[in-house]
Amino acid sequence: MSTTPPAVDGATVTMISLIGSLADNKGALGRRYGEWAVSAPTIESAVAAAAMAQDELGHARSTYPVLAKLGVEREDDGLDAGTPMPAIARELPDWASFIAANLVVDGILTTFVATARDSSIEPLAQRARKILQEEGAHRVHAEAWLRRISRTGGNDSELLRRRIEEMWSQAARWPGPDDDLGYREAIERGMVADGPAAVRDRVRQWLERHGATVDLAEPDDWSAWDPERRQ
Amino acid sequence: MSREHETVWEVFARKAYEEPLHHVGTVTEEDEDLALLSARAIYDEQPWIHMIIVPRNAIREAIRA
Repeated sequence: MSTTPPAVDGATVTMISLIGSLADNKGALGRRYGEWAVSAPTIESAVAAAAMAQDELGHARSTYPVLAKLGVEREDDGLDAGTPMPAIARELPDWASFIAANLVVDGILTTFVATARDSSIEPLAQRARKILQEEGAHRVHAEAWLRRISRTGGNDSELLRRRIEEMWSQAARWPGPDDDLGYREAIERGMVADGPAAVRDRVRQWLERHGATVDLAEPDDWSAWDPERRQ
Repeated sequence: MSREHETVWEVFARKAYEEPLHHVGTVTEEDEDLALLSARAIYDEQPWIHMIIVPRNAIREAIRA
């Protein structure tokens, strides 16, 4: 539960929403990764899932205090905090979903974090640099599993393709519409370096470079967009 | 999941450069990047400064008693 301070500007409102939702989604991702630490296809994968869960939960825990610097009072809601993307709000049904979350959800969130590496919000910039150090291993994990499953082909590859599309339909909306005025103002004030379309485009190019043959369309219907929940 | 086509990697590490590399264990992975990740995640019990992995099938025996 958080309380946004009254009378703040559009850029700050947008950054509060992005940072709070980033932490919520990282917390959920950590829980989902953690659930697979006991049921991954191999012991090696299980250890990697556990390490990635620990990273994500740590990122969530250390990102929430950044909100305080923006004047947001937030109660400690524990692990079930906020409103993460529905795709990661519940247990992931299969290993392909885990890899799709690793590729797409982790990919979108980390790409956003990269745009805050030199943020004028100094605590956010510090967090971003630490998160990016640790996310390097998550990226390597995602790329290696995409290669591996793509090489295998057949049903595994088809299932992964479907899961990536499902994750993309939600995660691609997370940054929001590219013409969001608050986001534009946040860029002008150096809070983030790039806007929503640039974040999506970087993830799309990365996935395509690593052989993902899926439809990663730019979201076009923002009529039901809720900027607070970022869904 | 069948692991018959996967590679066994021998993992070696050391805590100081004046020490020799010690054998610390193995990981089984088809992909080299995943093997590196797994080695770092699994054998993290010591503050290593150097860790390497070697595919078992690249090892050649010089002596076998």
